[in-house]
Amino acid sequence: MMLTALLIVAQVAGQDPRLERLDPETRSLVVAVVDSARAAGLPTEPLVQRALEGATKGAPGTRIIAAVRRLTVDLGVARTALGARASAPELEAAVAALRAGATPQLLTRLRDVRRPPLTMALSVLADLVASGVPADSASAAVLALAPNAHDADLAEFRRAVERDISLGVPPGVAAAVGALNTGPRTDAFNGVTGGQPPARPPRRP
Amino acid sequence: MGIGLVEPSDSELVRRVRTGDIGAYGALVARYRDRLGRYAVHMIGDRQDAEEALQDSFVRAYRSLERCNDPARFGAWLYGILVNRCRTTGARAARRRRMFVHDIGALNGAAHPDQTDRVEWSDAVDRALARLAPEYREAFLLKHVDDLEYEQIAAVTGAGISALKMRVKRAREQLQKFLREAEHV
Amino acid sequence: MFEHEDDIVERVIRQLRRPVSIDPGLDARVLHEIASDAAPESAARRPLLRSLPWLAAAAVLAAALVARPWTRGGNGADAFQFVLVAPQAASVSLVGDFNDWDPARSPMKTAQGVWATVVQLTPGRYRYAFLVNGVEWRADPSAPRAMDDEFGTPSSVVTVGGRGT
Repeated sequence: MMLTALLIVAQVAGQDPRLERLDPETRSLVVAVVDSARAAGLPTEPLVQRALEGATKGAPGTRIIAAVRRLTVDLGVARTALGARASAPELEAAVAALRAGATPQLLTRLRDVRRPPLTMALSVLADLVASGVPADSASAAVLALAPNAHDADLAEFRRAVERDISLGVPPGVAAAVGALNTGPRTDAFNGVTGGQPPARPPRRP
Repeated sequence: MGIGLVEPSDSELVRRVRTGDIGAYGALVARYRDRLGRYAVHMIGDRQDAEEALQDSFVRAYRSLERCNDPARFGAWLYGILVNRCRTTGARAARRRRMFVHDIGALNGAAHPDQTDRVEWSDAVDRALARLAPEYREAFLLKHVDDLEYEQIAAVTGAGISALKMRVKRAREQLQKFLREAEHV
Repeated sequence: MFEHEDDIVERVIRQLRRPVSIDPGLDARVLHEIASDAAPESAARRPLLRSLPWLAAAAVLAAALVARPWTRGGNGADAFQFVLVAPQAASVSLVGDFNDWDPARSPMKTAQGVWATVVQLTPGRYRYAFLVNGVEWRADPSAPRAMDDEFGTPSSVVTVGGRGT
């Protein structure tokens, strides 16, 4: 009985009221994409947010639809790479990483070496590429750090690389050097010793 | 000739800050940020510590602005606050150190030789600077990098002029020595 | 030989004099910290007094955020501060994936041209931007850029980590 009631509610409320900000034609197309994404088991919130972003920015309906469709496809690729247990934030970050040039194979490797959530690792990868680090260097650096670094260390690593880039260090080198200076020192590289860095509270959120 | 856009002087900005115009303080921060930041980075040797010291110094300077006796020399007064703040920075246990060049080479075999040379020299300079005694490093940076006059350095550090000249001389000698050693490695 | 040694020191000096870029977010952090103070010296005019109630709240907030940068809210949400220096702006809104890109949801408050607001965020990656005077889109100069620019305006990214591994 309760299940029936829920199903009825779900059907009546099939349309997210936030989407009323879109013009009717765009809205119905977006709703269709959102519904099919939901049926495929993909998170719908990122799609709604992308449509709302377009609405606020006054983008034409065609562009909004295209963006939402593209995101749906990319979320599907991300989910194939990360597995069905990936959370919505992980999938969103994975999309950013894929669009930055990370391969689905890399995403799967990250999933294999790092305990969830993968959100920060994937996000840092995307952000590094946005700063000019070549995708393969960014991927290698994040993969090297992924097994052991805390999320806060990864965030600090990204900031450190950006600072070095602004100093004139070539981005690929900055990423490689930053990776070596982050978190517990590994034995993979000679001459670097030392224990865990002390836990540092982040300076700002 | 025409109406040029003249930037307000430090005294003018300080005067405005004193009447409550925080935006004017923003202009002072922007004016001095990179120059003072450069000193802090070279003095402390750790980027994050240096930025923290810099931020603190700007905040302190604002809060004690009434003690700046000569607004026209706001810059020198600010240096004094920063120099003192850099002295009290403790080393972080896991200091970010620039990598030795052979490690960089191993990591990135395709690195362009010019880039490697530049990073190598910059590393060597950083290491040599870090080996100087703090008071030598301080005097050397203020004199040769920040271009302060000995009178200003004396005011900012509290040391006598002849002591400062000696420190700068020692710093130069030691830097030569360390870097010649590095060349022969 | 003497010249050679001097050359080394001159090269060192040249190297050290190279410009150093400092995190551009530093300016905003300084101004935000001091915006909570009253004017530093007595004067005939005290424009800040008009906004005292907000300043008092900001001072408390600034103190809270400085003392404990991670403020654990309910449901695993943490408080994040967004700052934009825009002295000429009449209004600034924060819009992003965390507030349905709705300019009415997170209007920012200003003290002397420094705009700020605080938002509760659960772990995730969020695109966002500042909307200035209702018409001009600005990315956050102190945050990573979002590479997706599908709608032709700049956006920034903030990523909130979980507890980590």
